[in-house]
Amino acid sequence: MTAPLQGIRVIDLTAVWAGPFGARLLGDYGAEVIKVESPRQWDLLRALGLIPRETPRWYNRSAYFNHNNRDKLGLALDLAIPSGRDVLLRLCAISDVIVENFRSDVMDNLGLSYAAVSGVNPAIIYVSMPGHGKTGPEKDYVAYGTNVEQLAGLVSLSGYEGGEPMKTGFSYGDPMAGTALVGAVAMAIRHRNRTGEGMYVELAQRENLSMFVGEHLVDFSMNGIPRTPIGNRHPFLAPHNRYRSAGDDSWIAIACENDGQFLALCQAIGRPDLPGDERFSTNVARKANEEELDGIIGAWTLQRGHYEGMHILQRAGVPAGAVLSVPELLSDPQLRSRGAWVEHSHPDAGTWEMESPPWELSRTPGHIRVPAPGFAEHNSYVFRDLLGLDDDAIARLYAEGATADTLDESLHR
Amino acid sequence: MPATLTGLRVLELGTFVSAPFCGKLFAGYGAEVIKVEPPGGDLARAHGPFKDGVPNPETSALFLYLNTGKKSVELDLRRPRGRDAFLRLAARCDVLVENFRPADLRALGLTYAALREVNPRLVLVSITPFGQDGPYSGYRANNLIAFAMGGQMHMTGTQEGGPLKNGGYQADYQGGLNGFSAAMLAVLAAERDGEGQHVDISVQHCMAPILEASIPYYSYLGRWAGIRRGNHMSSFIGIYPCQDGHLGVHVMPRNWKPFTDCIGRPDLLADPRFETQALRAAHNDELMAELYAWAATAKKHDVYRRAGAMRAPITFVHTMQDLIESPQLNARGSIRRIEHPAAGTASYPGPPWWMGPDGGWTTGRAPLLGEHTSVVLRDLAGLSAPELAALHNEGALG
Repeated sequence: MTAPLQGIRVIDLTAVWAGPFGARLLGDYGAEVIKVESPRQWDLLRALGLIPRETPRWYNRSAYFNHNNRDKLGLALDLAIPSGRDVLLRLCAISDVIVENFRSDVMDNLGLSYAAVSGVNPAIIYVSMPGHGKTGPEKDYVAYGTNVEQLAGLVSLSGYEGGEPMKTGFSYGDPMAGTALVGAVAMAIRHRNRTGEGMYVELAQRENLSMFVGEHLVDFSMNGIPRTPIGNRHPFLAPHNRYRSAGDDSWIAIACENDGQFLALCQAIGRPDLPGDERFSTNVARKANEEELDGIIGAWTLQRGHYEGMHILQRAGVPAGAVLSVPELLSDPQLRSRGAWVEHSHPDAGTWEMESPPWELSRTPGHIRVPAPGFAEHNSYVFRDLLGLDDDAIARLYAEGATADTLDESLHR
Repeated sequence: MPATLTGLRVLELGTFVSAPFCGKLFAGYGAEVIKVEPPGGDLARAHGPFKDGVPNPETSALFLYLNTGKKSVELDLRRPRGRDAFLRLAARCDVLVENFRPADLRALGLTYAALREVNPRLVLVSITPFGQDGPYSGYRANNLIAFAMGGQMHMTGTQEGGPLKNGGYQADYQGGLNGFSAAMLAVLAAERDGEGQHVDISVQHCMAPILEASIPYYSYLGRWAGIRRGNHMSSFIGIYPCQDGHLGVHVMPRNWKPFTDCIGRPDLLADPRFETQALRAAHNDELMAELYAWAATAKKHDVYRRAGAMRAPITFVHTMQDLIESPQLNARGSIRRIEHPAAGTASYPGPPWWMGPDGGWTTGRAPLLGEHTSVVLRDLAGLSAPELAALHNEGALG
């Protein structure tokens, strides 16, 4: 069975994380994705690989780049040079999707607005992924990874009980925008299949992430009461927390949703007396006395490893889970069983393990088909095979600096 | 332009957050979404916060938000006639979204094989914490457990404070969004060749690879810092308390000049300790002290406007009130007022992204419990009046 995006060609002008991650998912599920980088403004992730710059082709060995750009082809093209822009428009004419996440005015300034691109291909799906949007009073404001979750309202709801608002552990808005990109592109393809029409899609990253706190907005607008962070607890359920386990910085999460699960928890930790205790007999009582209850549970969890505690509690029917660290994720039996990590080889970077495509589609599965492109690796394929340029035309592109085989190493220092 | 998903019909057996969020996205973009609720309704109806704090299955903010634009059918799938009616609905739908524990779905006799028998075109989307197979697939989990097992908790919070969950139901929302995008791929495949399939979403598998550079660094280089950095990735990427809230700073190398200009500290720009990103990292604590002192005298709106005009990467931590009052969101129409007969009018975020110039986003309200039971079972499942009566008599309609 062919992949769901078989036959779809995507031009990926994005850099860093949100756009590249989303475009990589399109590649995982069958699209031919051509990543375009300027020799002068190449993707920052190539520089964030922690690879010493003395290493030959260090910029092709960044795992951070290679995880987020596999299943793509690499084209070097400077869009600010007229012949580079012309090549891009020719590529647009034979592509299905173009994705960009430049600052809001850049594509217009390059003469690559939706109007310009749809002029050469009315059926194209053109996706912009700005931070704030292409319109509105804040459209030109800078918003990087950690800013997006602040603007989306999530940070104001996160944090320890009684503490200050807390950032997430990573630039959460980026992968959420990348994940949304796939749905948006698939919707636009479906629309085009039915009508023949292309479409302009705008995915403002702060708006996308604000969908993840929607119930709080509804609540506040109905009730006018600001809710402050409550750490790992739940507004209504108890017990609901993470507890220390045996071992260094080792923790287990336990969250009971009803009396039955609490009963099972009490049996499993050898405290069958608790459900009969009026401080803990109902969820309302447990919530009122959760500090004390957490102390009792924590005394049990501290006696054993987090996985062991999880297995004991789960066998009794209690929702419990080990708080997994990064090394533990790589060895976790469930993720292993699912094939979440697969061995991968790259001509410059060697062999290591990276994540598989995340979604299992039984009939049209995703695959890692090609490693991330080295810089400019597929220039020839694009210029000759796709666009039919002759040797002279290609030589002119090199001579004008519209393309190159190497990148400006002075950037991103 | 009609909404993008016009003509697509989605059946949702969604409980609480993950599958309902997936269903909400379908409904928002114009699909007909039929939510089948058990007698008494989706668990989210029993959870607050409620309007005015008064428990009412029709005024839960969580339910209202996650179920906009859907139809509600109250149906007991454990009753033979209820299950039969459900299968007749499934025969007429393109997508079925569910988030049961795999064993619980099997117990209802609703395996992919059984559904395929009534509708080979059907795309079944299962959103579960661990996926359909594997050693933990029978385990019980919810947002907190998935957040822990997906690796995001261990890296969030401070070292001394311990691992921290993010606000709300972030693991569940990730499951819902991943389910939607994956489902759309399967819809494309089904519309190409008429064949459905089973889409298996493991929230853990979706969450674990996206920890910024952590997995690449550990898997490729064996490097893992193993510490939680709280509100500061570094002095120049972090959150600082200000007079009336909190400011978020995210300075990349090229922003150092506009940043120091914006905060009125040309002396920092001239300071050799802070000349490059590497030097700023080397003198992290000194720079952090400077920024704490600056922020303490600043006001969030003033700084944000000034930073915007000067292209300095400073935002502020938006509260729910800030979202509702946001000039940007209001100018773009990305918060909508929706009226509901029991809960009144409230503000809802959306669209998450804009399909075409008008966004293609519809804003129907959440349904009352069982509001569409009769009409959907009659018109779509094709049940006759006597069949509906028999269902009712069996107690299958709640």
